[in-house]
Amino acid sequence: MSEHRLRIEPAGTPRATILIVPPLFEEANRTRRTLVLAMRALAAEGFAAVLPDLPGQNESLVPLERVDLVGWQDAVAQIAAAIEGPVIIASVRGGALVDHQAEAEAWWRLAPIGGASLLRTLMRARVGADREAGVASSLDSLQEEAKTASLLLAGNRLSSAMIAQLGVSEPQAVAPLRSVGLGADGIAGTPLWLRAEPDEDAAMAAAIAADISIWSKTCGIS
Amino acid sequence: MTEAKTVDATLRALLADVLGLGEARAAALTEGSGLFGELPEFDSMAVATVLTEMEDRLGILIDDDEIDGEIFETYGNLLAFSLRKVTD
Repeated sequence: MSEHRLRIEPAGTPRATILIVPPLFEEANRTRRTLVLAMRALAAEGFAAVLPDLPGQNESLVPLERVDLVGWQDAVAQIAAAIEGPVIIASVRGGALVDHQAEAEAWWRLAPIGGASLLRTLMRARVGADREAGVASSLDSLQEEAKTASLLLAGNRLSSAMIAQLGVSEPQAVAPLRSVGLGADGIAGTPLWLRAEPDEDAAMAAAIAADISIWSKTCGIS
Repeated sequence: MTEAKTVDATLRALLADVLGLGEARAAALTEGSGLFGELPEFDSMAVATVLTEMEDRLGILIDDDEIDGEIFETYGNLLAFSLRKVTD
């Protein structure tokens, strides 16, 4: 099934296509607005920018329970393969866990994170919700339960396979890669992906676009 | 900076990031400032996010059984808990 892709075109032939691999789960919603602002800034610089839905995320009709990281890695590879011309993959947070099976001219990662950390937060939210409902659960009991059944974690029904893969998943080596964090020697901005209430940051979006644009030149894309 | 000041600064920055407090509100938190139940942004998902970020930024590990409602009652309680974990 074909998933929705938000595509923003530049005037004229694109210098390259920036394929944005969004953060996973709730972090995708918290960053979407700012990422789309960055895509508009990239289009103004002559790039096409594509933000695909991973199966089971955003507008996808695929139940989240049926997908896992391996499936997402394949999906990103297929999307990249269908793009004409040079591709630069720009992944954010957990997006960096699923960007390495694709073929691209270059990779750019913002604040990449291991799957275990994402999983720990999701499981903690579940333990907290259970506690409020008077149910006793713990990170250990949920890990045990996940070996044989899917789990509902902060609104996400994740399969055993997804939970097992997240628990051990780290961003993989790709080249050429520019990996940036937040702060003085990275992107000026705040970690919107952590925000309890979604927010947007136009200055941060402009900084993201500028950094990707400079990196693309370093990688020989004119 | 002393360790206590570093932990305090780290914790304020972290709450600003997760709760979107802005620097001024984060700096104005006092030991008695209420958190969970007082700040509308501080829901159970935010609590989970704060705990994981505390682990990452302070280099500590927090077990389920160490967490009770009191820790998140006030900023002072959260700071005291963090200092205890860092010096453990």
